[in-house]
Amino acid sequence: MSDKNKGLSKAREIYLNRSQRVKELKAGGKTIIGYPCVYVPLEILTALDLVPYQTCGDIEEPVTEADRALPSSFCPVMRNCLDCALKNRDDFLDGMVTIHSCDPQEKTARVWESYTNYPYFHFIDMPITVRPEALEYFESQLNDFGKTMETFTGRKLSKDKLESAITFHNRQRSLVRELHELAKPSPPRISGTEIIQVLKALTSLPVVEGNDLLTEVISEVKNRDKGPEKKSARLLIWSTILDDTDIMQVFEAKANVVMSESCGGIRAYRSEVKFTTDPLEGLADYYLNEITCARTFRQAIIGETRKNYTRDLQSRFGYLKGIVKEWRIDGAIILLVRYCDPFAFEIPSLKDYFDSIGIPSTYIEYDYTIGALAPLRTRVEAFLETISQ
Amino acid sequence: MVVEKKRTINRLKSMYPLRAKVNETYLKSIEAIQAGKPAVWGMLNFYYGDPILKAMDIEVVYPENYGAIAAAMGVARQYLDRADAEGFPTHLCGYSLTTLGYTSRMMRELDGQIPPEAPFGGMPKPLFLMSSAAICDARYKWFQALGRYMDVPVWPLEAPLPGIKEFSIEDYYDEMVKMGVKHLRDFVTFVEDMVGKKMDWDRLDKTTDLMIEVNRVWHEVNELRKERPCPMHSRDFWSAMPAALFLAGDLEDSLRLYQDMYKEVQGRVHNHVGAIPNEKYRLVFAELPPWHSLAFFDKLAERGWDFVIESVGYHPPIPLDLSKVSDPLERITRFSLQFLVGYYEDARKQNVLGGTTAYPYLKYAREWKCDGALLHPLITCRSASTHLPYVADMLMEKMHVPSLIIEGDIVDLRLFNPEDALAKAEPFEETMEHYKKNRRQEGFDW
Repeated sequence: MSDKNKGLSKAREIYLNRSQRVKELKAGGKTIIGYPCVYVPLEILTALDLVPYQTCGDIEEPVTEADRALPSSFCPVMRNCLDCALKNRDDFLDGMVTIHSCDPQEKTARVWESYTNYPYFHFIDMPITVRPEALEYFESQLNDFGKTMETFTGRKLSKDKLESAITFHNRQRSLVRELHELAKPSPPRISGTEIIQVLKALTSLPVVEGNDLLTEVISEVKNRDKGPEKKSARLLIWSTILDDTDIMQVFEAKANVVMSESCGGIRAYRSEVKFTTDPLEGLADYYLNEITCARTFRQAIIGETRKNYTRDLQSRFGYLKGIVKEWRIDGAIILLVRYCDPFAFEIPSLKDYFDSIGIPSTYIEYDYTIGALAPLRTRVEAFLETISQ
Repeated sequence: MVVEKKRTINRLKSMYPLRAKVNETYLKSIEAIQAGKPAVWGMLNFYYGDPILKAMDIEVVYPENYGAIAAAMGVARQYLDRADAEGFPTHLCGYSLTTLGYTSRMMRELDGQIPPEAPFGGMPKPLFLMSSAAICDARYKWFQALGRYMDVPVWPLEAPLPGIKEFSIEDYYDEMVKMGVKHLRDFVTFVEDMVGKKMDWDRLDKTTDLMIEVNRVWHEVNELRKERPCPMHSRDFWSAMPAALFLAGDLEDSLRLYQDMYKEVQGRVHNHVGAIPNEKYRLVFAELPPWHSLAFFDKLAERGWDFVIESVGYHPPIPLDLSKVSDPLERITRFSLQFLVGYYEDARKQNVLGGTTAYPYLKYAREWKCDGALLHPLITCRSASTHLPYVADMLMEKMHVPSLIIEGDIVDLRLFNPEDALAKAEPFEETMEHYKKNRRQEGFDW
């Protein structure tokens, strides 16, 4: 019998009641800071002894309150997140850090700040390229963020504390990658649904507690007798966001999802922050350059005066080739959240890339609601039938 | 006998030569390109890139504008269908889908030749693409997506977008300027490499000064519209704006023509001549107008609706003294940043933090003394629509100005129904009357 206070069971409990732990921590005197996107550098929060908490949507919650602030033809994830905030689901937050990772993040941040009243609210601007001057500008933005946090907390953001926080968060990234290694065997030792539960739990825990949880989960999974059963195909899901088990179970009903390259999946953990003389430089490079979200404009050669489509695809999607090979992917699902422009523009090119490496793929769109799951299921089943022939 | 239709909106005489100059420039540009001069496809970039290309004597075509032309001329549908068939989701920006479909047809079916059905000479294959991070994600992802059809280099222009409150942090503005100048210096090198000639820095210096002065005069013209009755209607604004916003045409000519316009508008102010005969209601319009149905505004003018201010994204920056800044790239950067941050200090003081493009509408309503707002959300242009619910909320909360929301689209003409919109006019007049009384009771002066 599983111990509810350990490993996968604990992750599932936290997943189902995400705010419980931060509320306990708050009652114990900790300060809780919300953030809506994986681009917010959590190391700065951890270094100042703050608890980061990712504000997420809820696919079962109909959007009502956010209607007065955002139009219906807008990113349903951010509409849902704001809706939850306006319904006071996040009323334990002491502050909020937002970032210009995409238009919906930026635009929602503005109205979020306007319609709520947290003691602290900060917006980080973010360039679109990885050019040297863009990195330098982003570093200055992180520096400003740190300064406002120092003022808010009355604490000093020292180099030592920041380096220590980077070490903890790099450790978390390493453990998450190790967790994903467990999906490499056939059948995988861990399911996509379980991975979502663990990763979402991490976004509502202090980093050290999250690392302890990961260590327990990895040990439990390595030692358990029975994992997921082998299904008809091993899938890669490439998505804007996939952070809900109900959605994941639509895919896992008839397939093994062995990799989710999405927010809610491995995207924020695939690499590590480098240690640089000024730690902010390493953080700027990691968050702008290393996270493979479609929001960043990438080129084969920065500032290139000759263009080649094959090289261009490689620079934008080349990292997927290793995943396909190592996780022995049979098919890829491009899962788009409706109205997500950065990802939507990628779709034909990404399909070209999958074609070029011989991986069948399909594009499916949904609107981040529970009502979208039935049509999603139909599309997934059709794709699985296609690739099994 | 031909009976000349009397128009309700009293158009500015000085607008016509300015508009003719813009149209002539466009046609000359197309002729030059057809004769072999290299062309660049550009996004509206809020002054960052245009003066550089202008100083280098490079012809620029704007696919955003071309999308509007293709829609109005009825040829956009085939490009939209083609983009759909290629796998681009239909909810993407209509202008982008038009360009993607157009380019697919040009490169894959016609071996790089301009499609014969393309109106106004079409858009020839460009030497390079200049995208922009300003305003929305689509405007740099769209040009990246064109790489599927043509191996043409892309320069994505960075455009910082600071927070309203954060902007007051020490050195924040200087860091934006530092990035902008370095970025533009590298852009100049890129352009030099692409066209094989060096920048004429004296020419850039002069171009920059002219750009700033043209926009200053254009700003002053719009300031005169605060008068009652308003001397100039939004339709004249939209007709006249390309010379300042896109730097279309010779800038010295443009400066003279905007100065002529200033004199005409000032004359109307002195003589109390309004843009419409009976100004009953003063309105602000946001954001992109229904280009294909502008006659709609004439119908509203017949009811006494005067559109006295509009479309913040098309307005010139609030003037800024840059005469002591010697580096033209720094002047360009500061001028371009001013487009957004010119409103920030005021927005922060008023505690209106929700949206860089939202606060200006409160300023407009207050200073141009508007009775109502006509908001035009567009189904496939989220950047021009997202802030509108917030704008409506703030206009009502802060100054009791009601909004009428009429949906449309930038390319799908079926989504805008002028008859339905006109049917809403009368009840909205009652609403405006109600809130006019309400404002006076609350101590507002209009």
